[in-house]
Amino acid sequence: MPTITFITAEGKQHAVTAEIGRSVMEIALEKNIPGVVAECNGSAACATCHCYFDPAFAAAIGPIGEHESDMLDFTASPRRPESRLSCQVRVADALDGMTVHIPAVQ
Amino acid sequence: MAHAVLVVSDIAFSDLLSDPYPIYKRLRDMAPAVYVEAARLALVTRFDDIMTIERDCETFASSNPGSLVNKVMGHTMMRKDGEAHAMERRAIEVSFRPGTIKNHWAARFEAISDRLISQIESDGEADLFDALAAPMASLALIELLGLKDVSWQTLARWSQALMDGAGNYSGDPEISARATEAAAGVDAAIDAVLAWHRENPNPAVLSSMVNAEHPMNLEQIRANIKVIIGGGLNEPRDSILSLTLGLLSNPLQRAEVMANPDLWPLAFEEAVRWISPIGMYPRRVTRDVELSGVKLRAGDQIGLCVAAANRDDRRFANPDNFDVFRPKQPHLAFGAGPHFCAGAWVARQLVGRIVVPMLFSRLKNLRLRPDAPARIHGWVFRGPVSLPVAWDL
Ligand code: FES
Repeated sequence: MPTITFITAEGKQHAVTAEIGRSVMEIALEKNIPGVVAECNGSAACATCHCYFDPAFAAAIGPIGEHESDMLDFTASPRRPESRLSCQVRVADALDGMTVHIPAVQ
Repeated sequence: MAHAVLVVSDIAFSDLLSDPYPIYKRLRDMAPAVYVEAARLALVTRFDDIMTIERDCETFASSNPGSLVNKVMGHTMMRKDGEAHAMERRAIEVSFRPGTIKNHWAARFEAISDRLISQIESDGEADLFDALAAPMASLALIELLGLKDVSWQTLARWSQALMDGAGNYSGDPEISARATEAAAGVDAAIDAVLAWHRENPNPAVLSSMVNAEHPMNLEQIRANIKVIIGGGLNEPRDSILSLTLGLLSNPLQRAEVMANPDLWPLAFEEAVRWISPIGMYPRRVTRDVELSGVKLRAGDQIGLCVAAANRDDRRFANPDNFDVFRPKQPHLAFGAGPHFCAGAWVARQLVGRIVVPMLFSRLKNLRLRPDAPARIHGWVFRGPVSLPVAWDL
Protein backbone atom coordinates (compact mmCIF):
# COMPACT_ATOMS: atom_id res chain seq x y z
CA MET A 1 0.00 0.00 0.00
CA PRO A 2 1.31 3.47 -0.84
CA THR A 3 2.43 5.82 1.92
CA ILE A 4 1.10 9.36 2.04
CA THR A 5 2.40 12.02 4.42
CA PHE A 6 -0.04 14.64 5.65
CA ILE A 7 1.48 17.85 7.00
CA THR A 8 -0.77 20.02 9.14
CA ALA A 9 -0.73 23.81 9.07
CA GLU A 10 1.37 23.72 12.28
CA GLY A 11 3.92 21.55 10.48
CA LYS A 12 3.12 18.25 12.18
CA GLN A 13 3.77 15.23 9.95
CA HIS A 14 1.55 12.16 9.79
CA ALA A 15 2.80 9.38 7.52
CA VAL A 16 0.07 6.83 6.81
CA THR A 17 -0.42 3.84 4.58
CA ALA A 18 -3.37 4.36 2.30
CA GLU A 19 -5.69 1.83 0.76
CA ILE A 20 -5.78 1.96 -3.04
CA GLY A 21 -9.00 3.23 -4.55
CA ARG A 22 -10.13 5.26 -1.52
CA SER A 23 -10.09 9.04 -1.70
CA VAL A 24 -7.35 10.96 0.07
CA MET A 25 -10.11 12.68 2.09
CA GLU A 26 -11.38 9.31 3.33
CA ILE A 27 -7.87 8.31 4.35
CA ALA A 28 -7.42 11.56 6.28
CA LEU A 29 -10.69 11.06 8.18
CA GLU A 30 -10.01 7.42 8.87
CA LYS A 31 -6.57 8.20 10.30
CA ASN A 32 -7.90 11.16 12.30
CA ILE A 33 -5.69 13.70 10.59
CA PRO A 34 -6.78 17.09 11.93
CA GLY A 35 -7.80 19.82 9.49
CA VAL A 36 -9.70 17.90 6.84
CA VAL A 37 -13.37 18.60 7.54
CA ALA A 38 -15.19 17.13 4.53
CA GLU A 39 -18.66 18.38 5.37
CA CYS A 40 -20.26 16.85 2.29
CA ASN A 41 -18.49 13.51 2.64
CA GLY A 42 -17.05 13.50 -0.84
CA SER A 43 -19.83 14.99 -2.95
CA ALA A 44 -17.53 17.80 -4.12
CA ALA A 45 -20.08 20.26 -2.76
CA CYS A 46 -18.52 21.84 0.32
CA ALA A 47 -14.85 22.61 -0.42
CA THR A 48 -13.89 21.78 3.19
CA CYS A 49 -11.53 18.96 2.18
CA HIS A 50 -9.18 21.36 0.38
CA CYS A 51 -5.47 20.40 0.53
CA TYR A 52 -2.23 21.36 -1.19
CA PHE A 53 -0.79 18.41 -3.09
CA ASP A 54 2.89 17.83 -3.84
CA PRO A 55 3.32 19.30 -7.38
CA ALA A 56 5.68 16.46 -8.31
CA PHE A 57 2.63 14.17 -8.28
CA ALA A 58 0.32 16.41 -10.33
CA ALA A 59 0.46 14.15 -13.39
CA ALA A 60 -0.05 11.00 -11.32
CA ILE A 61 -3.10 12.52 -9.62
CA GLY A 62 -4.70 13.51 -12.91
CA PRO A 63 -6.38 16.68 -14.12
CA ILE A 64 -8.79 18.86 -12.11
CA GLY A 65 -12.43 18.46 -13.11
CA GLU A 66 -14.42 21.53 -14.12
CA HIS A 67 -16.69 21.30 -11.11
CA GLU A 68 -13.77 20.73 -8.75
CA SER A 69 -12.03 23.76 -10.19
CA ASP A 70 -15.11 25.95 -9.65
CA MET A 71 -15.32 24.76 -6.09
CA LEU A 72 -11.65 25.49 -5.45
CA ASP A 73 -12.37 29.17 -6.11
CA PHE A 74 -14.37 29.18 -2.89
CA THR A 75 -12.02 27.59 -0.40
CA ALA A 76 -11.49 29.24 2.98
CA SER A 77 -7.70 29.16 2.61
CA PRO A 78 -6.21 30.66 -0.55
CA ARG A 79 -6.27 28.57 -3.71
CA ARG A 80 -2.84 27.73 -5.09
CA PRO A 81 -1.74 25.87 -8.23
CA GLU A 82 -1.32 22.73 -6.11
CA SER A 83 -4.81 23.00 -4.56
CA ARG A 84 -7.16 20.05 -4.91
CA LEU A 85 -10.28 18.75 -3.22
CA SER A 86 -8.90 15.71 -1.43
CA CYS A 87 -12.21 13.88 -1.89
CA GLN A 88 -11.64 13.93 -5.65
CA VAL A 89 -8.16 12.40 -5.50
CA ARG A 90 -8.00 8.58 -5.51
CA VAL A 91 -5.16 6.73 -3.87
CA ALA A 92 -3.03 4.78 -6.37
CA ASP A 93 0.39 3.12 -6.35
CA ALA A 94 1.75 6.07 -8.29
CA LEU A 95 1.05 8.33 -5.30
CA ASP A 96 3.46 6.47 -3.02
CA GLY A 97 5.65 8.98 -1.16
CA MET A 98 3.39 11.98 -1.83
CA THR A 99 3.05 14.77 0.72
CA VAL A 100 -0.24 16.58 1.28
CA HIS A 101 -0.29 19.93 3.10
CA ILE A 102 -3.44 20.73 5.02
CA PRO A 103 -4.48 24.39 4.98
CA ALA A 104 -4.96 26.43 8.15
CA VAL A 105 -8.72 26.83 7.72
CA GLN A 106 -11.40 24.99 5.77
CA MET B 1 -23.02 -0.51 29.34
CA ALA B 2 -25.21 0.90 26.62
CA HIS B 3 -28.49 2.48 27.62
CA ALA B 4 -31.89 2.44 25.98
CA VAL B 5 -33.22 5.70 24.58
CA LEU B 6 -34.73 7.90 27.31
CA VAL B 7 -38.26 9.14 26.82
CA VAL B 8 -39.39 12.67 27.59
CA SER B 9 -43.10 13.42 27.75
CA ASP B 10 -43.28 16.84 29.40
CA ILE B 11 -42.38 18.90 26.34
CA ALA B 12 -45.31 20.57 24.59
CA PHE B 13 -45.27 20.86 20.82
CA SER B 14 -46.10 24.55 21.15
CA ASP B 15 -42.95 25.07 23.26
CA LEU B 16 -40.84 23.57 20.48
CA LEU B 17 -42.45 25.91 17.99
CA SER B 18 -42.03 29.07 20.00
CA ASP B 19 -38.45 28.48 21.17
CA PRO B 20 -36.76 25.08 20.81
CA TYR B 21 -33.36 26.24 22.06
CA PRO B 22 -33.86 25.81 25.84
CA ILE B 23 -35.32 22.37 25.07
CA TYR B 24 -32.35 21.51 22.88
CA LYS B 25 -30.00 22.44 25.69
CA ARG B 26 -31.83 20.19 28.09
CA LEU B 27 -31.77 17.28 25.61
CA ARG B 28 -28.10 17.81 24.76
CA ASP B 29 -27.16 17.64 28.42
CA MET B 30 -29.36 14.61 29.01
CA ALA B 31 -28.22 12.01 26.46
CA PRO B 32 -27.06 11.53 22.86
CA ALA B 33 -30.59 10.59 21.73
CA VAL B 34 -33.84 11.30 23.58
CA TYR B 35 -37.31 10.27 22.44
CA VAL B 36 -39.54 13.33 22.61
CA GLU B 37 -43.18 12.31 22.61
CA ALA B 38 -44.44 15.58 21.18
CA ALA B 39 -42.13 15.16 18.17
CA ARG B 40 -42.65 11.38 17.90
CA LEU B 41 -38.94 11.02 17.20
CA ALA B 42 -35.73 10.27 19.04
CA LEU B 43 -33.89 13.58 18.77
CA VAL B 44 -30.13 13.74 18.34
CA THR B 45 -28.78 17.09 19.45
CA ARG B 46 -24.99 16.92 19.87
CA PHE B 47 -22.68 18.08 17.11
CA ASP B 48 -20.33 15.09 17.09
CA ASP B 49 -23.13 12.54 17.10
CA ILE B 50 -24.78 14.11 14.06
CA MET B 51 -21.44 14.15 12.25
CA THR B 52 -20.98 10.45 13.04
CA ILE B 53 -24.47 9.66 11.76
CA GLU B 54 -24.05 11.62 8.54
CA ARG B 55 -20.85 9.74 7.73
CA ASP B 56 -22.63 6.39 7.88
CA CYS B 57 -25.60 6.50 5.54
CA GLU B 58 -25.92 2.73 5.44
CA THR B 59 -26.82 2.56 9.10
CA PHE B 60 -28.70 5.87 9.06
CA ALA B 61 -30.69 5.98 5.86
CA SER B 62 -32.55 8.84 4.22
CA SER B 63 -34.87 6.53 2.33
CA ASN B 64 -38.04 5.83 4.20
CA PRO B 65 -40.91 3.68 2.97
CA GLY B 66 -43.51 5.49 5.06
CA SER B 67 -42.24 8.97 4.30
CA LEU B 68 -44.86 11.65 3.90
CA VAL B 69 -42.47 13.54 1.61
CA ASN B 70 -42.72 10.66 -0.85
CA LYS B 71 -46.48 10.62 -0.59
CA VAL B 72 -46.83 14.32 -1.24
CA MET B 73 -44.03 14.92 -3.72
CA GLY B 74 -43.17 11.56 -5.25
CA HIS B 75 -39.82 9.80 -4.94
CA THR B 76 -37.37 12.66 -4.46
CA MET B 77 -33.60 12.42 -4.20
CA MET B 78 -33.86 13.68 -0.64
CA ARG B 79 -35.28 10.32 0.37
CA LYS B 80 -32.85 8.17 -1.63
CA ASP B 81 -29.40 6.86 -0.76
CA GLY B 82 -26.24 5.73 -2.47
CA GLU B 83 -25.98 5.65 -6.24
CA ALA B 84 -29.69 6.36 -6.85
CA HIS B 85 -29.29 9.63 -4.94
CA ALA B 86 -25.89 10.46 -6.40
CA MET B 87 -27.05 10.09 -9.97
CA GLU B 88 -30.01 12.43 -9.60
CA ARG B 89 -27.90 14.88 -7.65
CA ARG B 90 -25.23 14.94 -10.35
CA ALA B 91 -27.89 15.79 -12.92
CA ILE B 92 -28.73 19.08 -11.20
CA GLU B 93 -25.28 19.92 -9.88
CA VAL B 94 -24.25 22.05 -12.83
CA SER B 95 -26.99 24.59 -12.06
CA PHE B 96 -25.60 25.05 -8.55
CA ARG B 97 -21.87 25.23 -9.28
CA PRO B 98 -20.07 28.22 -7.82
CA GLY B 99 -18.91 29.12 -11.33
CA THR B 100 -22.45 29.04 -12.74
CA ILE B 101 -23.62 31.15 -9.82
CA LYS B 102 -20.92 33.75 -10.34
CA ASN B 103 -21.23 33.96 -14.11
CA HIS B 104 -24.93 33.49 -14.55
CA TRP B 105 -27.15 33.74 -11.48
CA ALA B 106 -25.46 36.55 -9.57
CA ALA B 107 -26.43 39.27 -12.06
CA ARG B 108 -30.02 38.05 -12.13
CA PHE B 109 -30.28 37.93 -8.35
CA GLU B 110 -28.81 41.42 -8.16
CA ALA B 111 -31.45 42.75 -10.55
CA ILE B 112 -34.28 41.25 -8.49
CA SER B 113 -32.82 42.54 -5.23
CA ASP B 114 -32.33 46.00 -6.71
CA ARG B 115 -35.92 46.12 -7.93
CA LEU B 116 -37.39 45.02 -4.58
CA ILE B 117 -35.31 47.46 -2.55
CA SER B 118 -36.14 50.29 -4.97
CA GLN B 119 -39.82 49.60 -4.41
CA ILE B 120 -39.61 50.25 -0.68
CA GLU B 121 -36.74 52.73 -0.55
CA SER B 122 -38.94 55.82 -0.16
CA ASP B 123 -41.26 54.28 2.45
CA GLY B 124 -39.05 54.74 5.51
CA GLU B 125 -40.29 51.56 7.14
CA ALA B 126 -41.32 48.02 6.20
CA ASP B 127 -41.70 44.50 7.45
CA LEU B 128 -38.80 42.86 5.67
CA PHE B 129 -40.52 39.49 5.62
CA ASP B 130 -43.16 40.53 3.06
CA ALA B 131 -41.36 43.47 1.55
CA LEU B 132 -38.08 41.78 0.72
CA ALA B 133 -37.22 38.31 1.98
CA ALA B 134 -40.25 36.36 0.78
CA PRO B 135 -40.45 37.84 -2.75
CA MET B 136 -36.67 37.73 -3.12
CA ALA B 137 -36.40 34.04 -2.27
CA SER B 138 -39.35 33.15 -4.43
CA LEU B 139 -38.31 35.16 -7.49
CA ALA B 140 -34.75 33.82 -7.27
CA LEU B 141 -36.07 30.27 -7.12
CA ILE B 142 -38.34 30.81 -10.14
CA GLU B 143 -35.29 31.93 -12.15
CA LEU B 144 -33.11 29.14 -10.85
CA LEU B 145 -35.64 26.43 -11.67
CA GLY B 146 -36.44 27.92 -15.08
CA LEU B 147 -40.20 28.36 -14.52
CA LYS B 148 -42.13 30.93 -16.53
CA ASP B 149 -45.35 32.83 -15.88
CA VAL B 150 -45.48 31.86 -12.23
CA SER B 151 -45.90 34.69 -9.71
CA TRP B 152 -43.80 34.81 -6.57
CA GLN B 153 -46.92 34.54 -4.47
CA THR B 154 -47.99 31.36 -6.27
CA LEU B 155 -44.61 29.71 -5.83
CA ALA B 156 -44.55 30.71 -2.16
CA ARG B 157 -48.02 29.23 -1.69
CA TRP B 158 -47.01 25.96 -3.38
CA SER B 159 -43.89 25.76 -1.27
CA GLN B 160 -45.82 26.19 1.96
CA ALA B 161 -48.55 23.75 0.92
CA LEU B 162 -46.01 21.06 -0.03
CA MET B 163 -44.11 21.45 3.21
CA ASP B 164 -47.28 21.42 5.28
CA GLY B 165 -48.28 18.25 3.44
CA ALA B 166 -44.92 16.66 4.14
CA GLY B 167 -45.32 17.44 7.84
CA ASN B 168 -48.97 16.46 8.05
CA TYR B 169 -48.49 13.64 10.55
CA SER B 170 -52.03 13.93 11.88
CA GLY B 171 -53.49 13.40 8.39
CA ASP B 172 -55.55 16.62 8.34
CA PRO B 173 -57.65 16.33 5.13
CA GLU B 174 -57.55 20.06 4.42
CA ILE B 175 -53.75 20.13 4.48
CA SER B 176 -53.63 17.06 2.22
CA ALA B 177 -56.01 18.69 -0.23
CA ARG B 178 -53.91 21.84 -0.40
CA ALA B 179 -50.73 19.82 -0.94
CA THR B 180 -52.37 17.83 -3.74
CA GLU B 181 -53.52 21.03 -5.41
CA ALA B 182 -50.04 22.54 -5.14
CA ALA B 183 -48.47 19.39 -6.57
CA ALA B 184 -50.81 19.59 -9.58
CA GLY B 185 -49.91 23.25 -10.03
CA VAL B 186 -46.20 22.45 -10.03
CA ASP B 187 -46.68 19.62 -12.54
CA ALA B 188 -48.55 21.94 -14.89
CA ALA B 189 -45.90 24.64 -14.56
CA ILE B 190 -43.21 22.08 -15.45
CA ASP B 191 -45.18 20.80 -18.44
CA ALA B 192 -45.45 24.35 -19.74
CA VAL B 193 -41.67 24.84 -20.05
CA LEU B 194 -40.02 21.43 -20.26
CA ALA B 195 -39.91 21.15 -24.06
CA TRP B 196 -38.41 24.63 -24.25
CA HIS B 197 -35.64 23.69 -21.81
CA ARG B 198 -34.91 20.53 -23.78
CA GLU B 199 -34.42 22.56 -26.94
CA ASN B 200 -32.62 25.48 -25.32
CA PRO B 201 -30.00 24.17 -22.90
CA ASN B 202 -29.30 26.78 -20.22
CA PRO B 203 -28.13 26.88 -16.59
CA ALA B 204 -31.63 26.48 -15.07
CA VAL B 205 -32.36 23.38 -13.02
CA LEU B 206 -35.07 22.11 -15.40
CA SER B 207 -32.64 22.34 -18.29
CA SER B 208 -29.96 20.48 -16.32
CA MET B 209 -32.44 17.74 -15.50
CA VAL B 210 -33.39 17.04 -19.12
CA ASN B 211 -30.00 17.65 -20.67
CA ALA B 212 -27.81 15.80 -18.14
CA GLU B 213 -25.62 12.87 -19.12
CA HIS B 214 -28.19 10.69 -17.35
CA PRO B 215 -31.35 12.75 -17.84
CA MET B 216 -34.16 12.40 -15.35
CA ASN B 217 -37.49 10.98 -16.46
CA LEU B 218 -40.70 12.97 -15.97
CA GLU B 219 -41.49 11.31 -12.66
CA GLN B 220 -38.06 12.16 -11.27
CA ILE B 221 -38.27 15.71 -12.58
CA ARG B 222 -41.65 16.30 -10.98
CA ALA B 223 -40.62 14.89 -7.62
CA ASN B 224 -37.29 16.68 -7.44
CA ILE B 225 -38.66 20.04 -8.56
CA LYS B 226 -41.21 19.74 -5.78
CA VAL B 227 -38.60 18.98 -3.19
CA ILE B 228 -36.55 21.95 -4.34
CA ILE B 229 -39.63 24.20 -4.18
CA GLY B 230 -40.54 22.85 -0.75
CA GLY B 231 -37.02 23.05 0.58
CA GLY B 232 -35.45 25.91 -1.37
CA LEU B 233 -37.62 28.88 -0.59
CA ASN B 234 -37.80 29.18 3.18
CA GLU B 235 -34.09 28.86 3.73
CA PRO B 236 -32.87 31.88 1.76
CA ARG B 237 -35.91 33.83 2.96
CA ASP B 238 -35.25 33.03 6.60
CA SER B 239 -31.50 33.54 6.42
CA ILE B 240 -31.93 36.98 4.80
CA LEU B 241 -33.95 37.91 7.87
CA SER B 242 -31.72 36.22 10.47
CA LEU B 243 -28.59 37.83 9.09
CA THR B 244 -30.31 41.22 9.04
CA LEU B 245 -31.61 40.72 12.57
CA GLY B 246 -28.22 39.57 13.85
CA LEU B 247 -26.46 42.64 12.52
CA LEU B 248 -29.18 45.11 13.55
CA SER B 249 -29.05 43.73 17.08
CA ASN B 250 -25.25 44.00 17.27
CA PRO B 251 -24.20 47.50 16.18
CA LEU B 252 -20.46 46.94 16.71
CA GLN B 253 -20.39 43.87 14.51
CA ARG B 254 -22.49 45.65 11.96
CA ALA B 255 -20.05 48.56 11.84
CA GLU B 256 -17.13 46.20 11.30
CA VAL B 257 -18.88 44.30 8.53
CA MET B 258 -19.86 47.53 6.81
CA ALA B 259 -16.27 48.74 7.04
CA ASN B 260 -14.85 45.48 5.71
CA PRO B 261 -17.09 43.78 3.12
CA ASP B 262 -14.85 40.69 3.17
CA LEU B 263 -16.59 39.86 6.45
CA TRP B 264 -19.98 39.30 4.79
CA PRO B 265 -19.41 35.59 4.17
CA LEU B 266 -18.47 35.07 7.83
CA ALA B 267 -21.55 37.01 8.92
CA PHE B 268 -23.72 34.81 6.72
CA GLU B 269 -22.27 31.57 8.12
CA GLU B 270 -22.80 32.87 11.65
CA ALA B 271 -26.42 33.80 10.92
CA VAL B 272 -27.29 30.27 9.75
CA ARG B 273 -25.45 28.75 12.69
CA TRP B 274 -27.29 31.06 15.11
CA ILE B 275 -30.78 30.44 13.68
CA SER B 276 -30.58 27.46 11.36
CA PRO B 277 -33.41 27.66 8.80
CA ILE B 278 -33.71 23.87 8.71
CA GLY B 279 -33.61 22.92 12.36
CA MET B 280 -34.25 19.20 12.13
CA TYR B 281 -34.39 16.47 9.51
CA PRO B 282 -35.13 12.76 9.86
CA ARG B 283 -33.11 9.60 9.36
CA ARG B 284 -34.09 5.93 9.66
CA VAL B 285 -31.96 3.46 11.61
CA THR B 286 -31.40 0.35 9.47
CA ARG B 287 -29.70 -1.96 12.01
CA ASP B 288 -29.22 -2.19 15.77
CA VAL B 289 -26.42 0.18 16.61
CA GLU B 290 -24.89 2.10 19.50
CA LEU B 291 -24.64 5.86 19.32
CA SER B 292 -22.28 7.23 21.99
CA GLY B 293 -23.52 4.61 24.45
CA VAL B 294 -27.21 4.71 23.53
CA LYS B 295 -28.81 1.69 21.92
CA LEU B 296 -30.73 2.44 18.76
CA ARG B 297 -32.76 -0.28 17.11
CA ALA B 298 -33.38 -1.12 13.48
CA GLY B 299 -36.48 0.76 12.37
CA ASP B 300 -36.08 3.64 14.84
CA GLN B 301 -36.91 7.04 13.41
CA ILE B 302 -34.47 9.67 14.58
CA GLY B 303 -34.45 13.43 14.13
CA LEU B 304 -31.12 15.15 13.61
CA CYS B 305 -31.45 18.54 15.28
CA VAL B 306 -28.78 20.50 13.45
CA ALA B 307 -30.11 23.67 15.07
CA ALA B 308 -29.25 22.13 18.44
CA ALA B 309 -25.83 20.95 17.24
CA ASN B 310 -25.09 24.46 16.00
CA ARG B 311 -25.53 25.69 19.58
CA ASP B 312 -23.69 22.80 21.22
CA ASP B 313 -21.52 24.42 23.89
CA ARG B 314 -19.08 21.54 23.62
CA ARG B 315 -18.18 23.14 20.33
CA PHE B 316 -19.25 26.78 20.25
CA ALA B 317 -18.50 29.12 23.15
CA ASN B 318 -21.50 31.27 24.18
CA PRO B 319 -23.52 29.50 21.50
CA ASP B 320 -26.65 31.62 21.88
CA ASN B 321 -24.84 34.82 20.90
CA PHE B 322 -24.62 36.06 17.33
CA ASP B 323 -20.88 36.61 16.93
CA VAL B 324 -19.39 37.12 13.50
CA PHE B 325 -15.93 36.96 15.04
CA ARG B 326 -16.14 33.59 16.73
CA PRO B 327 -13.32 31.23 15.72
CA LYS B 328 -14.14 29.86 12.30
CA GLN B 329 -15.26 26.26 12.36
CA PRO B 330 -17.77 24.21 10.49
CA HIS B 331 -21.46 24.26 11.43
CA LEU B 332 -24.26 21.96 10.37
CA ALA B 333 -26.77 24.42 8.94
CA PHE B 334 -26.34 22.88 5.47
CA GLY B 335 -26.33 19.36 6.86
CA ALA B 336 -23.42 17.01 6.21
CA GLY B 337 -22.68 13.97 4.12
CA PRO B 338 -24.02 13.09 0.69
CA HIS B 339 -27.16 15.17 1.26
CA PHE B 340 -25.16 18.31 2.06
CA CYS B 341 -27.33 21.19 0.84
CA ALA B 342 -27.07 21.43 -2.95
CA GLY B 343 -28.07 25.08 -2.74
CA ALA B 344 -25.41 26.10 -0.21
CA TRP B 345 -23.41 28.18 -2.68
CA VAL B 346 -26.50 29.81 -4.11
CA ALA B 347 -27.54 30.82 -0.60
CA ARG B 348 -24.08 32.14 0.24
CA GLN B 349 -24.07 34.31 -2.84
CA LEU B 350 -27.71 35.37 -2.78
CA VAL B 351 -28.01 36.15 0.91
CA GLY B 352 -24.49 36.88 2.07
CA ARG B 353 -23.11 38.63 -1.00
CA ILE B 354 -26.07 40.27 -2.70
CA VAL B 355 -29.31 40.91 -0.84
CA VAL B 356 -28.29 41.76 2.72
CA PRO B 357 -25.21 43.85 1.77
CA MET B 358 -27.40 45.77 -0.71
CA LEU B 359 -30.06 46.30 1.94
CA PHE B 360 -27.59 47.77 4.44
CA SER B 361 -25.87 49.99 1.93
CA ARG B 362 -29.06 51.35 0.35
CA LEU B 363 -31.29 52.00 3.38
CA LYS B 364 -29.60 54.61 5.56
CA ASN B 365 -29.52 54.12 9.30
CA LEU B 366 -31.49 50.90 9.00
CA ARG B 367 -32.77 49.98 12.47
CA LEU B 368 -35.13 47.72 14.40
CA ARG B 369 -38.38 49.21 15.66
CA PRO B 370 -38.62 49.07 19.45
CA ASP B 371 -42.41 49.40 19.18
CA ALA B 372 -42.65 46.37 16.87
CA PRO B 373 -40.19 43.66 17.84
CA ALA B 374 -39.17 40.88 15.45
CA ARG B 375 -40.96 37.57 15.86
CA ILE B 376 -39.20 34.23 15.34
CA HIS B 377 -41.08 30.97 15.03
CA GLY B 378 -40.74 27.27 14.28
CA TRP B 379 -38.44 24.37 15.01
CA VAL B 380 -38.25 21.98 12.01
CA PHE B 381 -38.10 25.15 9.95
CA ARG B 382 -37.26 28.24 11.96
CA GLY B 383 -36.82 31.88 11.16
CA PRO B 384 -38.15 35.39 11.71
CA VAL B 385 -41.79 35.56 10.61
CA SER B 386 -41.86 39.31 11.05
CA LEU B 387 -38.99 41.80 10.98
CA PRO B 388 -40.25 45.40 11.14
CA VAL B 389 -37.53 47.95 10.43
CA ALA B 390 -37.24 51.68 9.79
CA TRP B 391 -34.67 53.83 8.00
CA ASP B 392 -33.93 57.49 7.23
CA LEU B 393 -35.34 59.11 4.13
S1 FES C 1 -15.65 16.51 1.03
FE1 FES C 1 -16.90 18.16 0.39
S2 FES C 1 -15.84 18.84 -1.35
FE2 FES C 1 -14.65 17.21 -0.70
